[in-house]
Amino acid sequence: MTDSVAEKVVGMLASVKHIPRERITLDSSLQDLGFDSLDVITMLFELEKEFEIAIPDDEARSVTSVRGIVERIRKLLAAASTDSAPPAN
Amino acid sequence: MREHRVAITGLGAICALGQNVAEAWDALCQGRPGIGTIKSVDVSGLRFQNGAEVRGYDPAFHFDPSRMDLLDRFAQFAVLAAREALRDSGTVWTPGLRESTAVVSGSSVGGQSSQDVGFRELYKLERGRVHPLSILRIMANAGASHISMEFGITGPVYTISTACSSANHAIGLAFRMVRDSEVEMAIAGGSEAPFSLGLLKAWEAMRVIAPDTCRPFSRDRRGMILGEGSGMLVLEPLEAARARGARIHAEIMGFGMSSDAHHITQPSVAGPARAMRAALRDAALRPEQVGYINAHGTGTPGNDPMEARAIHEVFGAHANQLAVSSTKSMHGHALGAAGALEAVATILALREGILPPTANFTAPDPECNLDVIPNRARPAKVECALSNSFAFGGLNAVLVFRAYSG
Repeated sequence: MTDSVAEKVVGMLASVKHIPRERITLDSSLQDLGFDSLDVITMLFELEKEFEIAIPDDEARSVTSVRGIVERIRKLLAAASTDSAPPAN
Repeated sequence: MREHRVAITGLGAICALGQNVAEAWDALCQGRPGIGTIKSVDVSGLRFQNGAEVRGYDPAFHFDPSRMDLLDRFAQFAVLAAREALRDSGTVWTPGLRESTAVVSGSSVGGQSSQDVGFRELYKLERGRVHPLSILRIMANAGASHISMEFGITGPVYTISTACSSANHAIGLAFRMVRDSEVEMAIAGGSEAPFSLGLLKAWEAMRVIAPDTCRPFSRDRRGMILGEGSGMLVLEPLEAARARGARIHAEIMGFGMSSDAHHITQPSVAGPARAMRAALRDAALRPEQVGYINAHGTGTPGNDPMEARAIHEVFGAHANQLAVSSTKSMHGHALGAAGALEAVATILALREGILPPTANFTAPDPECNLDVIPNRARPAKVECALSNSFAFGGLNAVLVFRAYSG
Protein backbone atom coordinates (compact mmCIF):
# COMPACT_ATOMS: atom_id res chain seq x y z
CA MET A 1 0.00 0.00 0.00
CA THR A 2 1.40 3.34 -0.97
CA ASP A 3 -0.84 6.01 0.47
CA SER A 4 -3.10 6.79 3.36
CA VAL A 5 -6.34 6.36 1.39
CA ALA A 6 -5.39 2.81 0.46
CA GLU A 7 -4.20 2.10 4.02
CA LYS A 8 -7.45 3.33 5.50
CA VAL A 9 -9.58 1.41 3.00
CA VAL A 10 -7.77 -1.84 3.69
CA GLY A 11 -8.03 -1.35 7.45
CA MET A 12 -11.72 -0.66 7.12
CA LEU A 13 -12.42 -3.68 4.93
CA ALA A 14 -10.57 -5.89 7.42
CA SER A 15 -12.61 -4.47 10.28
CA VAL A 16 -15.95 -4.80 8.45
CA LYS A 17 -15.31 -8.39 7.43
CA HIS A 18 -13.46 -9.36 10.63
CA ILE A 19 -10.46 -10.66 8.67
CA PRO A 20 -6.70 -9.95 9.00
CA ARG A 21 -5.63 -6.97 6.90
CA GLU A 22 -2.75 -9.03 5.48
CA ARG A 23 -5.35 -10.96 3.47
CA ILE A 24 -6.29 -7.83 1.58
CA THR A 25 -4.35 -6.38 -1.37
CA LEU A 26 -5.23 -3.75 -3.95
CA ASP A 27 -5.85 -6.61 -6.38
CA SER A 28 -8.35 -8.39 -4.13
CA SER A 29 -11.92 -8.46 -5.34
CA LEU A 30 -14.71 -8.05 -2.81
CA GLN A 31 -16.04 -11.40 -3.93
CA ASP A 32 -12.70 -13.11 -3.18
CA LEU A 33 -12.75 -11.56 0.27
CA GLY A 34 -16.20 -13.05 0.87
CA PHE A 35 -18.13 -9.78 0.95
CA ASP A 36 -21.87 -10.28 0.67
CA SER A 37 -24.38 -7.50 0.03
CA LEU A 38 -24.62 -6.62 3.74
CA ASP A 39 -20.85 -6.39 4.07
CA VAL A 40 -20.84 -4.03 1.09
CA ILE A 41 -23.42 -1.64 2.54
CA THR A 42 -21.60 -1.71 5.88
CA MET A 43 -18.33 -0.94 4.09
CA LEU A 44 -19.90 1.97 2.20
CA PHE A 45 -21.30 3.33 5.45
CA GLU A 46 -17.87 3.20 7.11
CA LEU A 47 -16.12 4.73 4.07
CA GLU A 48 -18.57 7.62 3.95
CA LYS A 49 -18.03 8.26 7.65
CA GLU A 50 -14.23 7.99 7.52
CA PHE A 51 -13.68 10.15 4.44
CA GLU A 52 -16.68 12.46 4.95
CA ILE A 53 -17.93 11.85 1.45
CA ALA A 54 -21.21 10.74 -0.10
CA ILE A 55 -20.98 7.72 -2.39
CA PRO A 56 -23.94 7.77 -4.79
CA ASP A 57 -25.95 4.51 -5.04
CA ASP A 58 -25.10 3.91 -8.70
CA GLU A 59 -21.37 4.29 -8.02
CA ALA A 60 -21.70 2.06 -4.97
CA ARG A 61 -23.20 -0.73 -7.05
CA SER A 62 -20.31 -0.70 -9.55
CA VAL A 63 -17.56 -1.19 -6.97
CA THR A 64 -16.11 -4.70 -7.10
CA SER A 65 -12.42 -4.48 -6.18
CA VAL A 66 -10.24 -2.87 -3.54
CA ARG A 67 -8.37 -0.93 -6.22
CA GLY A 68 -11.69 0.31 -7.60
CA ILE A 69 -12.78 1.51 -4.17
CA VAL A 70 -9.52 3.38 -3.56
CA GLU A 71 -9.75 5.06 -6.98
CA ARG A 72 -13.37 6.12 -6.46
CA ILE A 73 -12.58 7.57 -3.09
CA ARG A 74 -9.62 9.52 -4.45
CA LYS A 75 -11.85 10.96 -7.16
CA LEU A 76 -14.57 11.85 -4.68
CA LEU A 77 -12.04 13.47 -2.36
CA ALA A 78 -10.51 15.41 -5.25
CA ALA A 79 -13.95 16.58 -6.39
CA ALA A 80 -14.79 17.64 -2.85
CA SER A 81 -11.59 19.64 -2.47
CA THR A 82 -12.14 21.35 -5.87
CA ASP A 83 -15.68 22.26 -4.84
CA SER A 84 -14.52 23.78 -1.61
CA ALA A 85 -11.45 25.56 -3.06
CA PRO A 86 -11.67 29.36 -3.21
CA PRO A 87 -12.36 30.89 -6.64
CA ALA A 88 -9.21 31.37 -8.78
CA ASN A 89 -9.75 35.08 -9.18
CA MET B 1 -57.68 -33.51 11.81
CA ARG B 2 -55.80 -35.52 14.42
CA GLU B 3 -55.32 -33.92 17.84
CA HIS B 4 -52.18 -34.80 19.74
CA ARG B 5 -51.34 -34.46 23.38
CA VAL B 6 -48.38 -32.06 23.42
CA ALA B 7 -45.20 -32.66 25.41
CA ILE B 8 -42.55 -30.16 26.42
CA THR B 9 -39.22 -31.85 25.79
CA GLY B 10 -36.81 -28.94 25.83
CA LEU B 11 -36.28 -25.87 28.00
CA GLY B 12 -33.95 -22.92 27.53
CA ALA B 13 -33.60 -19.73 29.54
CA ILE B 14 -31.37 -16.73 30.00
CA CYS B 15 -32.38 -13.96 32.38
CA ALA B 16 -31.28 -11.99 35.43
CA LEU B 17 -31.36 -15.23 37.43
CA GLY B 18 -28.81 -17.02 35.27
CA GLN B 19 -27.60 -17.81 31.80
CA ASN B 20 -29.22 -21.24 31.64
CA VAL B 21 -32.23 -23.12 33.01
CA ALA B 22 -30.33 -24.75 35.90
CA GLU B 23 -29.02 -21.42 37.22
CA ALA B 24 -32.41 -19.73 36.85
CA TRP B 25 -34.25 -22.58 38.57
CA ASP B 26 -31.80 -22.57 41.45
CA ALA B 27 -32.43 -18.85 42.03
CA LEU B 28 -36.22 -19.36 41.75
CA CYS B 29 -36.09 -22.11 44.38
CA GLN B 30 -33.96 -19.95 46.66
CA GLY B 31 -36.29 -16.97 46.24
CA ARG B 32 -33.24 -14.96 45.19
CA PRO B 33 -34.07 -11.93 43.03
CA GLY B 34 -31.80 -10.84 40.18
CA ILE B 35 -32.68 -7.18 40.68
CA GLY B 36 -30.04 -4.50 41.14
CA THR B 37 -28.72 -1.18 39.87
CA ILE B 38 -28.91 -1.03 36.07
CA LYS B 39 -25.38 -1.26 34.68
CA SER B 40 -25.80 -1.24 30.89
CA VAL B 41 -27.30 2.27 30.76
CA ASP B 42 -26.31 5.43 32.63
CA VAL B 43 -29.31 5.80 34.93
CA SER B 44 -28.10 8.92 36.76
CA GLY B 45 -30.79 11.00 35.02
CA LEU B 46 -33.61 8.54 35.68
CA ARG B 47 -36.13 8.48 38.51
CA PHE B 48 -35.54 4.75 38.93
CA GLN B 49 -32.22 2.95 39.12
CA ASN B 50 -33.03 -0.74 39.36
CA GLY B 51 -33.60 -3.46 36.81
CA ALA B 52 -33.19 -7.20 36.30
CA GLU B 53 -30.33 -7.45 33.82
CA VAL B 54 -28.47 -10.50 32.58
CA ARG B 55 -25.16 -10.24 34.45
CA GLY B 56 -21.72 -11.30 33.31
CA TYR B 57 -22.90 -11.80 29.75
CA ASP B 58 -20.28 -11.74 26.98
CA PRO B 59 -21.78 -12.12 23.50
CA ALA B 60 -18.34 -12.85 22.02
CA PHE B 61 -18.33 -16.09 23.98
CA HIS B 62 -21.40 -17.27 22.03
CA PHE B 63 -21.22 -15.62 18.60
CA ASP B 64 -18.46 -14.95 16.11
CA PRO B 65 -17.87 -11.27 15.26
CA SER B 66 -19.61 -11.24 11.87
CA ARG B 67 -22.70 -12.89 13.38
CA MET B 68 -22.71 -10.37 16.22
CA ASP B 69 -22.86 -7.51 13.71
CA LEU B 70 -26.36 -8.70 12.82
CA LEU B 71 -27.67 -9.56 16.27
CA ASP B 72 -29.21 -7.10 18.67
CA ARG B 73 -29.04 -8.25 22.28
CA PHE B 74 -32.69 -9.44 22.19
CA ALA B 75 -31.98 -11.71 19.21
CA GLN B 76 -28.83 -13.06 20.84
CA PHE B 77 -30.90 -14.07 23.86
CA ALA B 78 -33.47 -15.79 21.61
CA VAL B 79 -30.81 -17.84 19.85
CA LEU B 80 -29.10 -18.80 23.11
CA ALA B 81 -32.33 -19.97 24.75
CA ALA B 82 -33.27 -21.93 21.61
CA ARG B 83 -29.83 -23.58 21.54
CA GLU B 84 -30.25 -24.70 25.14
CA ALA B 85 -33.83 -25.92 24.60
CA LEU B 86 -32.87 -27.93 21.53
CA ARG B 87 -29.82 -29.42 23.22
CA ASP B 88 -32.03 -30.34 26.17
CA SER B 89 -34.61 -31.96 23.89
CA GLY B 90 -32.06 -34.27 22.27
CA THR B 91 -33.57 -33.48 18.87
CA VAL B 92 -31.98 -35.37 15.99
CA TRP B 93 -32.53 -33.33 12.84
CA THR B 94 -33.63 -34.87 9.58
CA PRO B 95 -34.53 -32.96 6.40
CA GLY B 96 -38.18 -33.86 6.97
CA LEU B 97 -38.18 -32.62 10.56
CA ARG B 98 -36.54 -29.35 9.56
CA GLU B 99 -39.37 -28.75 7.08
CA SER B 100 -41.98 -29.62 9.65
CA THR B 101 -40.70 -27.56 12.57
CA ALA B 102 -42.07 -24.16 13.54
CA VAL B 103 -40.43 -21.29 15.37
CA VAL B 104 -42.77 -18.83 17.07
CA SER B 105 -41.18 -16.07 19.11
CA GLY B 106 -42.61 -13.20 21.07
CA SER B 107 -41.08 -9.76 21.44
CA SER B 108 -42.60 -6.46 22.43
CA VAL B 109 -39.88 -3.99 21.48
CA GLY B 110 -37.51 -6.00 19.24
CA GLY B 111 -34.07 -4.53 18.70
CA GLN B 112 -34.94 -1.17 20.23
CA SER B 113 -31.47 -0.66 21.70
CA SER B 114 -30.00 -0.77 18.17
CA GLN B 115 -32.62 1.78 17.17
CA ASP B 116 -31.69 3.91 20.16
CA VAL B 117 -28.01 3.87 19.13
CA GLY B 118 -28.87 4.74 15.51
CA PHE B 119 -31.22 7.57 16.38
CA ARG B 120 -28.71 9.00 18.84
CA GLU B 121 -26.20 9.17 15.97
CA LEU B 122 -28.78 10.88 13.81
CA TYR B 123 -30.50 13.31 16.14
CA LYS B 124 -27.97 14.03 18.84
CA LEU B 125 -24.61 13.58 17.15
CA GLU B 126 -26.02 14.85 13.84
CA ARG B 127 -24.02 12.34 11.85
CA GLY B 128 -26.67 12.32 9.17
CA ARG B 129 -26.74 8.56 8.74
CA VAL B 130 -27.74 5.37 10.51
CA HIS B 131 -25.84 2.08 10.43
CA PRO B 132 -26.90 0.00 7.38
CA LEU B 133 -27.59 -3.14 9.43
CA SER B 134 -29.95 -1.28 11.75
CA ILE B 135 -33.16 -2.55 10.18
CA LEU B 136 -31.94 -6.15 10.41
CA ARG B 137 -31.09 -5.72 14.08
CA ILE B 138 -34.26 -3.83 14.99
CA MET B 139 -36.90 -6.04 13.32
CA ALA B 140 -38.87 -7.93 15.96
CA ASN B 141 -38.67 -11.20 14.02
CA ALA B 142 -34.85 -11.20 14.06
CA GLY B 143 -34.76 -13.70 16.93
CA ALA B 144 -37.05 -16.18 15.17
CA SER B 145 -35.24 -15.74 11.86
CA HIS B 146 -31.80 -16.34 13.37
CA ILE B 147 -33.05 -19.49 15.14
CA SER B 148 -34.47 -20.70 11.84
CA MET B 149 -31.18 -20.01 10.00
CA GLU B 150 -28.94 -21.50 12.68
CA PHE B 151 -30.81 -24.81 12.71
CA GLY B 152 -31.98 -24.89 9.08
CA ILE B 153 -35.64 -24.85 10.15
CA THR B 154 -37.86 -24.24 7.12
CA GLY B 155 -41.37 -24.66 8.53
CA PRO B 156 -43.61 -21.80 9.72
CA VAL B 157 -41.54 -19.10 11.43
CA TYR B 158 -43.09 -15.93 12.81
CA THR B 159 -43.11 -13.44 15.66
CA ILE B 160 -45.93 -12.14 17.76
CA SER B 161 -45.86 -8.72 19.36
CA THR B 162 -48.57 -8.26 21.96
CA ALA B 163 -46.56 -6.36 24.56
CA CYS B 164 -46.38 -8.32 27.82
CA SER B 165 -48.45 -11.22 26.47
CA SER B 166 -46.22 -11.82 23.41
CA ALA B 167 -44.55 -15.01 24.65
CA ASN B 168 -47.79 -16.58 25.88
CA HIS B 169 -49.46 -15.90 22.55
CA ALA B 170 -46.40 -17.36 20.80
CA ILE B 171 -46.32 -20.52 22.93
CA GLY B 172 -50.10 -20.93 22.71
CA LEU B 173 -50.21 -20.72 18.93
CA ALA B 174 -47.21 -23.04 18.57
CA PHE B 175 -48.97 -25.49 20.91
CA ARG B 176 -52.00 -25.47 18.64
CA MET B 177 -49.92 -26.11 15.53
CA VAL B 178 -48.39 -29.18 17.18
CA ARG B 179 -51.69 -30.36 18.64
CA ASP B 180 -53.40 -30.02 15.26
CA SER B 181 -50.68 -31.95 13.37
CA GLU B 182 -49.72 -28.87 11.38
CA VAL B 183 -46.08 -29.33 12.40
CA GLU B 184 -44.07 -32.13 14.01
CA MET B 185 -42.23 -29.88 16.39
CA ALA B 186 -42.18 -26.26 17.53
CA ILE B 187 -39.71 -23.99 19.27
CA ALA B 188 -41.65 -21.28 21.02
CA GLY B 189 -41.04 -18.56 23.56
CA GLY B 190 -40.01 -14.95 23.71
CA SER B 191 -37.04 -12.66 24.04
CA GLU B 192 -36.49 -9.07 25.06
CA ALA B 193 -33.71 -6.60 25.83
CA PRO B 194 -35.39 -3.35 26.87
CA PHE B 195 -32.45 -1.55 28.46
CA SER B 196 -31.70 1.60 26.49
CA LEU B 197 -31.90 5.15 27.75
CA GLY B 198 -34.68 6.04 25.30
CA LEU B 199 -36.94 3.20 26.35
CA LEU B 200 -36.17 3.58 30.05
CA LYS B 201 -37.14 7.25 29.80
CA ALA B 202 -40.43 6.22 28.19
CA TRP B 203 -41.09 3.77 31.04
CA GLU B 204 -40.16 6.46 33.56
CA ALA B 205 -42.82 8.71 32.07
CA MET B 206 -45.42 5.93 32.48
CA ARG B 207 -44.78 6.08 36.25
CA VAL B 208 -45.17 2.35 36.75
CA ILE B 209 -41.57 1.40 37.65
CA ALA B 210 -40.76 0.79 41.30
CA PRO B 211 -37.95 2.89 42.76
CA ASP B 212 -36.88 -0.02 44.97
CA THR B 213 -37.87 -3.52 43.94
CA CYS B 214 -40.79 -5.57 42.64
CA ARG B 215 -43.16 -6.71 45.42
CA PRO B 216 -46.16 -8.36 43.73
CA PHE B 217 -49.32 -8.65 45.84
CA SER B 218 -47.54 -7.00 48.77
CA ARG B 219 -49.25 -4.08 50.48
CA ASP B 220 -46.27 -1.79 49.95
CA ARG B 221 -45.74 -2.64 46.28
CA ARG B 222 -44.64 0.36 44.24
CA GLY B 223 -44.55 -0.93 40.68
CA MET B 224 -42.73 -3.20 38.30
CA ILE B 225 -39.04 -3.79 37.64
CA LEU B 226 -37.98 -4.22 34.03
CA GLY B 227 -36.17 -7.43 33.11
CA GLU B 228 -34.54 -8.94 30.05
CA GLY B 229 -33.73 -12.32 28.61
CA SER B 230 -35.37 -15.16 26.77
CA GLY B 231 -37.16 -18.40 27.41
CA MET B 232 -37.72 -21.09 24.78
CA LEU B 233 -39.64 -24.39 24.84
CA VAL B 234 -39.51 -27.37 22.50
CA LEU B 235 -42.97 -28.80 21.90
CA GLU B 236 -43.80 -32.07 20.15
CA PRO B 237 -46.55 -34.67 20.12
CA LEU B 238 -46.49 -36.75 23.29
CA GLU B 239 -46.44 -40.05 21.42
CA ALA B 240 -43.50 -38.92 19.27
CA ALA B 241 -41.59 -37.83 22.38
CA ARG B 242 -42.27 -41.18 24.02
CA ALA B 243 -41.30 -43.10 20.90
CA ARG B 244 -37.88 -41.48 20.75
CA GLY B 245 -37.35 -41.83 24.48
CA ALA B 246 -37.21 -38.08 25.10
CA ARG B 247 -37.36 -36.63 28.58
CA ILE B 248 -40.81 -35.10 29.02
CA HIS B 249 -40.77 -32.12 31.37
CA ALA B 250 -44.54 -31.60 31.38
CA GLU B 251 -47.53 -31.44 29.07
CA ILE B 252 -49.06 -28.29 27.69
CA MET B 253 -52.80 -28.75 27.89
CA GLY B 254 -54.54 -25.61 26.79
CA PHE B 255 -54.41 -21.99 25.78
CA GLY B 256 -56.96 -19.21 26.21
CA MET B 257 -57.06 -15.68 24.84
CA SER B 258 -59.25 -12.66 25.29
CA SER B 259 -59.14 -8.90 25.06
CA ASP B 260 -60.55 -6.32 27.43
CA ALA B 261 -61.76 -3.75 24.88
CA HIS B 262 -61.69 -1.45 27.87
CA HIS B 263 -58.65 0.78 28.38
CA ILE B 264 -55.15 0.87 26.91
CA THR B 265 -53.48 0.42 30.33
CA GLN B 266 -56.11 -0.13 33.03
CA PRO B 267 -56.82 -3.84 33.24
CA SER B 268 -60.31 -5.22 33.64
CA VAL B 269 -61.42 -8.21 35.70
CA ALA B 270 -63.63 -9.63 32.98
CA GLY B 271 -60.98 -9.94 30.25
CA PRO B 272 -58.40 -11.94 32.24
CA ALA B 273 -61.19 -14.05 33.76
CA ARG B 274 -62.45 -14.95 30.29
CA ALA B 275 -58.92 -15.87 29.16
CA MET B 276 -58.44 -18.17 32.18
CA ARG B 277 -61.83 -19.81 31.56
CA ALA B 278 -61.04 -20.24 27.87
CA ALA B 279 -57.70 -21.87 28.75
CA LEU B 280 -59.36 -24.32 31.18
CA ARG B 281 -62.04 -25.13 28.60
CA ASP B 282 -59.38 -25.69 25.93
CA ALA B 283 -57.55 -28.04 28.31
CA ALA B 284 -60.82 -29.80 29.27
CA LEU B 285 -59.95 -29.27 32.94
CA ARG B 286 -62.08 -28.39 35.94
CA PRO B 287 -60.86 -25.45 38.03
CA GLU B 288 -60.36 -27.79 41.01
CA GLN B 289 -57.60 -29.62 39.10
CA VAL B 290 -55.43 -26.50 39.14
CA GLY B 291 -53.09 -26.19 42.13
CA TYR B 292 -50.76 -23.36 41.11
CA ILE B 293 -50.94 -20.16 39.10
CA ASN B 294 -47.84 -18.34 37.95
CA ALA B 295 -49.48 -14.92 38.02
CA HIS B 296 -48.97 -12.00 35.70
CA GLY B 297 -48.25 -10.24 39.02
CA THR B 298 -46.40 -7.15 37.86
CA GLY B 299 -46.28 -5.52 41.29
CA THR B 300 -48.12 -2.41 40.09
CA PRO B 301 -50.93 -1.02 42.21
CA GLY B 302 -53.34 -1.59 39.30
CA ASN B 303 -52.59 -5.11 38.10
CA ASP B 304 -52.40 -7.17 41.24
CA PRO B 305 -55.84 -6.54 42.84
CA MET B 306 -57.50 -6.93 39.45
CA GLU B 307 -55.74 -10.25 38.86
CA ALA B 308 -56.72 -11.45 42.34
CA ARG B 309 -60.35 -10.60 41.64
CA ALA B 310 -60.24 -12.35 38.27
CA ILE B 311 -58.80 -15.49 39.90
CA HIS B 312 -61.54 -15.47 42.54
CA GLU B 313 -64.16 -15.02 39.85
CA VAL B 314 -62.92 -18.01 37.84
CA PHE B 315 -62.04 -20.39 40.68
CA GLY B 316 -64.74 -19.49 43.23
CA ALA B 317 -64.13 -21.19 46.59
CA HIS B 318 -61.18 -23.11 45.10
CA ALA B 319 -59.27 -19.81 44.85
CA ASN B 320 -58.55 -20.21 48.56
CA GLN B 321 -56.84 -23.57 47.92
CA LEU B 322 -54.70 -22.24 45.07
CA ALA B 323 -51.05 -21.33 45.42
CA VAL B 324 -50.24 -18.22 43.36
CA SER B 325 -46.86 -16.60 42.90
CA SER B 326 -45.28 -13.96 40.73
CA THR B 327 -41.75 -14.86 39.69
CA LYS B 328 -41.43 -11.35 38.22
CA SER B 329 -40.34 -10.52 41.78
CA MET B 330 -37.09 -12.28 40.86
CA HIS B 331 -36.50 -12.16 37.05
CA GLY B 332 -38.24 -8.81 36.61
CA HIS B 333 -40.79 -8.01 33.95
CA ALA B 334 -39.15 -9.09 30.73
CA LEU B 335 -42.08 -7.82 28.60
CA GLY B 336 -42.27 -10.01 25.48
CA ALA B 337 -40.11 -12.67 27.14
CA ALA B 338 -42.01 -12.65 30.43
CA GLY B 339 -44.48 -15.42 29.59
CA ALA B 340 -41.67 -17.66 28.33
CA LEU B 341 -39.56 -17.29 31.49
CA GLU B 342 -42.69 -17.88 33.55
CA ALA B 343 -43.58 -20.96 31.47
CA VAL B 344 -40.13 -22.39 32.27
CA ALA B 345 -40.71 -21.66 35.98
CA THR B 346 -44.19 -23.23 35.88
CA ILE B 347 -43.07 -26.36 34.02
CA LEU B 348 -40.19 -26.93 36.45
CA ALA B 349 -42.52 -26.31 39.40
CA LEU B 350 -44.74 -29.15 38.13
CA ARG B 351 -41.79 -31.43 37.35
CA GLU B 352 -39.89 -30.87 40.58
CA GLY B 353 -42.81 -30.45 42.97
CA ILE B 354 -41.47 -27.09 44.16
CA LEU B 355 -43.52 -23.91 43.81
CA PRO B 356 -41.34 -20.80 43.40
CA PRO B 357 -42.23 -17.97 45.75
CA THR B 358 -43.24 -14.34 45.41
CA ALA B 359 -40.03 -12.68 46.57
CA ASN B 360 -39.66 -9.30 48.30
CA PHE B 361 -43.03 -9.80 49.99
CA THR B 362 -43.46 -7.80 53.19
CA ALA B 363 -47.17 -7.66 54.13
CA PRO B 364 -50.46 -8.99 52.74
CA ASP B 365 -52.84 -6.66 50.94
CA PRO B 366 -56.53 -7.36 51.60
CA GLU B 367 -57.14 -6.38 47.96
CA CYS B 368 -54.96 -9.31 46.86
CA ASN B 369 -56.32 -12.06 49.06
CA LEU B 370 -54.45 -14.99 47.59
CA ASP B 371 -51.95 -17.51 48.95
CA VAL B 372 -48.95 -15.91 47.24
CA ILE B 373 -46.19 -18.22 48.57
CA PRO B 374 -44.35 -15.35 50.28
CA ASN B 375 -40.57 -15.36 50.00
CA ARG B 376 -39.89 -19.10 50.39
CA ALA B 377 -40.41 -21.80 47.79
CA ARG B 378 -42.90 -24.46 48.82
CA PRO B 379 -42.65 -28.19 48.18
CA ALA B 380 -46.00 -29.25 46.70
CA LYS B 381 -47.03 -31.82 44.12
CA VAL B 382 -49.47 -30.09 41.84
CA GLU B 383 -51.37 -31.70 38.96
CA CYS B 384 -52.05 -28.64 36.79
CA ALA B 385 -50.90 -25.04 36.66
CA LEU B 386 -51.84 -21.87 34.83
CA SER B 387 -49.47 -19.17 33.63
CA ASN B 388 -51.08 -15.76 33.14
CA SER B 389 -49.97 -12.90 30.91
CA PHE B 390 -51.98 -9.70 30.53
CA ALA B 391 -50.70 -6.94 28.27
CA PHE B 392 -51.05 -3.21 27.88
CA GLY B 393 -53.76 -2.84 25.30
CA GLY B 394 -55.92 -5.32 27.24
CA LEU B 395 -54.62 -8.48 25.57
CA ASN B 396 -54.79 -11.57 27.75
CA ALA B 397 -53.15 -14.96 27.12
CA VAL B 398 -53.21 -17.90 29.53
CA LEU B 399 -51.40 -21.24 29.24
CA VAL B 400 -52.28 -24.46 31.05
CA PHE B 401 -49.62 -27.05 31.91
CA ARG B 402 -49.91 -30.48 33.52
CA ALA B 403 -47.31 -32.55 35.34
CA TYR B 404 -46.30 -35.55 33.28
CA SER B 405 -46.73 -38.76 35.14
CA GLY B 406 -45.68 -41.26 32.46
